[in-house]
Amino acid sequence: MSKNYMSHILPWLKTAPGMSIAISIVVAVAATIDAGPYLLVNMVVTGGMLALVATGLTLMLGVLNIPMFAHGEYFMIGSLIAYYIFTPISEFILEHPESWLVTFGPFIAIIGALVGGAIAGAISEKLVFGPLRRRSTDNWVMNSFLLTVGLSVLLINLHQLIFGADFKGIVGYWQGMPISIADVYVSKDRVMAFIISAVIVALFYLFMTYTRTGMAIRAVSQDITGAEIVGIDIEKIVLLTIALACALAGVAGGSLLFMYPSYPTVGLEPLYMAWFVVILSGLGNILGAVTGAFIVALLKVITMEYVGAGWDFVVPSALIMFILIFKPSGIFGSDVRGVLDK
Amino acid sequence: MDTIKNELQMNSFDRVLDKLCLTPIGLAGLILLLILPFIPPFNQEYILRWLIYCGFIAAMSVGFDFTAGYINIVNFGYMAVAGTGGYTSALLVINAGLSPWIAMVAGGVSSAILGLVIGMISLRLRGIFAACLSWFFGLAVMGLAVKMVWLTRGPLGLRVPRLFETESNFPFYFLIIILVYLTYLICKWVVRSKMGLAFQAIGQNMDAARTSGIDPVFYRVFNFTMSCAIAGVLGGFYAHFYGILTPDMMHTSKTVEVLAVAYIGGRGSLWGGAVVAFPFIFLMEIVRSTLSNLPGLNLVIYALVLILVMIYYPGGFSYFYDTHIRQPKNRALRYFLNGRDV
Repeated sequence: MSKNYMSHILPWLKTAPGMSIAISIVVAVAATIDAGPYLLVNMVVTGGMLALVATGLTLMLGVLNIPMFAHGEYFMIGSLIAYYIFTPISEFILEHPESWLVTFGPFIAIIGALVGGAIAGAISEKLVFGPLRRRSTDNWVMNSFLLTVGLSVLLINLHQLIFGADFKGIVGYWQGMPISIADVYVSKDRVMAFIISAVIVALFYLFMTYTRTGMAIRAVSQDITGAEIVGIDIEKIVLLTIALACALAGVAGGSLLFMYPSYPTVGLEPLYMAWFVVILSGLGNILGAVTGAFIVALLKVITMEYVGAGWDFVVPSALIMFILIFKPSGIFGSDVRGVLDK
Repeated sequence: MDTIKNELQMNSFDRVLDKLCLTPIGLAGLILLLILPFIPPFNQEYILRWLIYCGFIAAMSVGFDFTAGYINIVNFGYMAVAGTGGYTSALLVINAGLSPWIAMVAGGVSSAILGLVIGMISLRLRGIFAACLSWFFGLAVMGLAVKMVWLTRGPLGLRVPRLFETESNFPFYFLIIILVYLTYLICKWVVRSKMGLAFQAIGQNMDAARTSGIDPVFYRVFNFTMSCAIAGVLGGFYAHFYGILTPDMMHTSKTVEVLAVAYIGGRGSLWGGAVVAFPFIFLMEIVRSTLSNLPGLNLVIYALVLILVMIYYPGGFSYFYDTHIRQPKNRALRYFLNGRDV
C-alpha cells in the first residue's frame, strides 16, 4: 500500500508544482528551525492575506481576461470603509465596554468592507469595463490593462482629493492579551485576520466548485460563446465576477486595517505581491493561487529575515523572473494560454 | 517604378523633409517649439521648466511607443530603465569626474545592456506576461536603487552636477527639443527600413512572422535594446537637468505617465505621443500649480482622460488625425499636412 502511494508521490515531485511545493516546505521548515517559529506564523498570516487578493486577481484574469492593475485600490477602498465604520464603533466601545459590539463590532466593519468592495467593483464594471466591452473587444487584454491603469490612478487620487493623504488607521480590532502559539505571541487581530481569510477562501472555493453560479463562472472562463449557447446570462456573470473579485480585495483591506492604515497608495504593495503570486502560479487556478500566495509569503518573510527589510521586492521578483525563464506559464499553469498572449 | 517617379517629382526641399521624416506641418511645429521660449508668457523660467518636463515626457513616449506600438510589448519598467541610465551617468560624473555629456552616453549604454537582458529573458513570454516581467524587473531595479545606500544614497537622493553651468533653463530647453527630435528621427528611420516591417509583423502575429522567415529573437532583442538605450540617455538628461536624483524617478507611476501620453497620442505612430505631450502635460502642470489646495486633481483629470480615450478612442490622437484631419479637399492644405507623397 505504502509502496503504491510512493509511486504516485515520486513522479509528482518531479513536476514543477511538486518540486516547488516540496522545496518551499523544506525551506520553511529549515528557516523555522534556524530562526524560530515566529517566521512560520508571519508567513501564514501574510500568506492568508495574499491569498485573498491573489484569488480575486486570478479570477479577473481567468474569467474576464482583464489584467487588473487597479486591484490594490479595492484593497484601499475596503480599508477606508472599514476605518469609517470602525471609528464610531470604537468610540462607542470606549463608553460602553460591556456592549456586544466589543466582539462583533469588528465583524461589522469587515463585512462593510466586503460589501463596499463588491459595490465598487460593480460600479466600475458598469462605468468602465462594460462600455469598453460593448464598443470593441479587439486587443482586449492590452486595452483593458491600460484601462485599469487609468482606474488605479483615478482611485488613488480621488482618495487623496476627498479624504486627504494622511494615515487613517486604528490601534486594533479586538482588545485583550495576545494568544500564544508555539511560544510565539500573536495578537488576536492577526489570528482573526488569518481565520477570516481562510474561511473566505474556503467558502469561495466551495462556491466556485459546487454551486450552479460558480459553475457558470467557470464555464464563461472556458468558452464564452459556448456558455452563451447553453443559456448563461453573460452580462450577469461578468458583473458578479468583478463584484466578487473586488469584494475579496476589499475584505482583505478591511481585515488588515490594523496592519495597513488606509492612505492613498496603500494598495500598491498588496497589488505587487498579488501579481507576483499570479504570474508565479499561472492563471485562472484558484488552488494554485492559494499555494502561490504562501510561497510568495515565504519568500518575502525569509528575505526580510535573512537579507533585510526593504529587499522584499528585489529578491522575490528576481527569483520569479528566474522561474519564468524556465517555466513561462507559471508553476501551476497549463501550457495553453490563448487569449492572454496577445 | 512608382517610387522612383515620386522621387523625381520631389523638389530638393521635399526630399530633405522626407529624409528628416517631417511633413511641412511637422517642420512648422518644430520651429514653433524652437521660438516658443522667446514669446512672452513662455519666457519665464518656471514655465520653461514645465516645458522641459513636457519635452522629457514627449521623448520618453516616443521611445516607449517604439516598443509598445511596434512589437506590441508594453515595457512596464521603462522609467526604471531610464533611472538606471540616470544613475549611471550621475555616478560616473560624481565619482569618476567624467564630463556629463560623455556620462550621458555611458548611461545610454548601461540602459542598453539592461534592455538587452530584459529582451533576452522575456523572449519566451508574450503579451501581458512580458509586460509583467519588465515590470518586475523595474521593481527590482528600483528596490536596488533604494537599498544600495552606499552608492546611490538611497531615498535621500544624489546631488548631480548640471549639464550647463548656468541658472537659466534656456539651454536645457533647446537641448531637450533636439533630443525629442533626434529620438523621433532615429526611431522613424529604423521603422521605415525593412526592420520596421519585421517589427510590425512580430507585433501582430509572432507565429506568422516566424513562418515567413523573420527571426523574432534578433528583432525583439534589438527593439528592446534600442528603446532602452534611448531611455538611458534621456534619464541622463533628467538627472543632469534637475540636479537631484531619487529612486522615485523609477516608480511605476512615472512609467504610467509616459504610457498614458504614448497611448493618448496613439500607439504605433511615434509622433502622436510627442505632439500630445506638450499641450497635455503643460495643462496638467497649470492645473497642479493653480489648484494646489486640491492635491491630486491633475492626476484625476489625467486618469479620466486616459480612461475615456481607452474606451471611446483606443486609436488615440494619431488615429483621429489620420481619419479626420489628414485628407482635406484643398490641395495646398493637403500638401501642408502630408508633405509630397504619392
